[in-house]
Amino acid sequence: MGNSPEDKDLVAQTLAGDRDAFGVLVDRYAAQARRVARAVLGDPDDADDAAQDGFLSALVKLAQYDARRPFGPWLMRIVANAATDRRRRRNVRRAEPLDPSLVGGGPRPDAVAIRSELGERLRTALGELPERRRTAVVLFDVEGYSHAEIAGILGIPEGTVRSEVFHARRRLRTLLEDWKEQVK
Amino acid sequence: MKDTQSFDHRPDPELGAALRAALEPTGAHAAFVARVMGQYERALERGTIPTLDVLASWFRPGIAAAVAALILGFLFGRGILTPTATSIDAAMAPSEGPGLAALVTAADPPDASVVFASLVEQR
Repeated sequence: MGNSPEDKDLVAQTLAGDRDAFGVLVDRYAAQARRVARAVLGDPDDADDAAQDGFLSALVKLAQYDARRPFGPWLMRIVANAATDRRRRRNVRRAEPLDPSLVGGGPRPDAVAIRSELGERLRTALGELPERRRTAVVLFDVEGYSHAEIAGILGIPEGTVRSEVFHARRRLRTLLEDWKEQVK
Repeated sequence: MKDTQSFDHRPDPELGAALRAALEPTGAHAAFVARVMGQYERALERGTIPTLDVLASWFRPGIAAAVAALILGFLFGRGILTPTATSIDAAMAPSEGPGLAALVTAADPPDASVVFASLVEQR
């Protein structure tokens, strides 16, 4: 992390009333929190609301944070819970089924559209996975957390995390391979 | 891309990159940070987010109350456990004022306040 202040120092400064320190924490974890929330919720606007809820909830609980442990997993647990709570409250719409034109046969789009199409397929595929499974695979393959850390974030055994990541990957890798075959 | 049937303990960079792109937030990063900070400022104004100063200010009265309770408990316990030097002789010993002897030998019953005052003096 170079010369940038460590998370635990920023937490201590935030607790002492340093607003800029909290700003650094938000800036550091905003993208990750938004992605994790989106993995849970699907909808980007709902995800941003949940990520914001997570940050503010973390602030309220900041005195409970154990500075001997990494801050990221602690925060992501709160963000994931905030996203789950929001999904339950709002009964967020389920992922819509794939547009048949995306499945194959349509006109060959340009490179940007191809990437966009892949993103749409992945989001749809994620939306079809159980919440815990899609959150686990995003935390592992996108955010780089260990199985043990994800177990702490999701409050499940480490073996269950391995299983969830395995099954999610199997589905998503198949989709990715199919897509690569199509755009060849 | 890894074999779909194998279990790997390491993140899959290709799948991770594709998922990251798919989950990338649609709104600007700076706008989101500003939005959270705005909510933070409002929460601070409303006092819904405790800072260490606030927590400390909650802590201090708690400590003072606990110390006061300890002192009172100590004094109360000491008062109960320490035998007082009360005996008939001590009770009948003369003191300033009418004293117990005068009270018990008086023809008329004394006023209750006099009795209590005398008892306090004897102690």
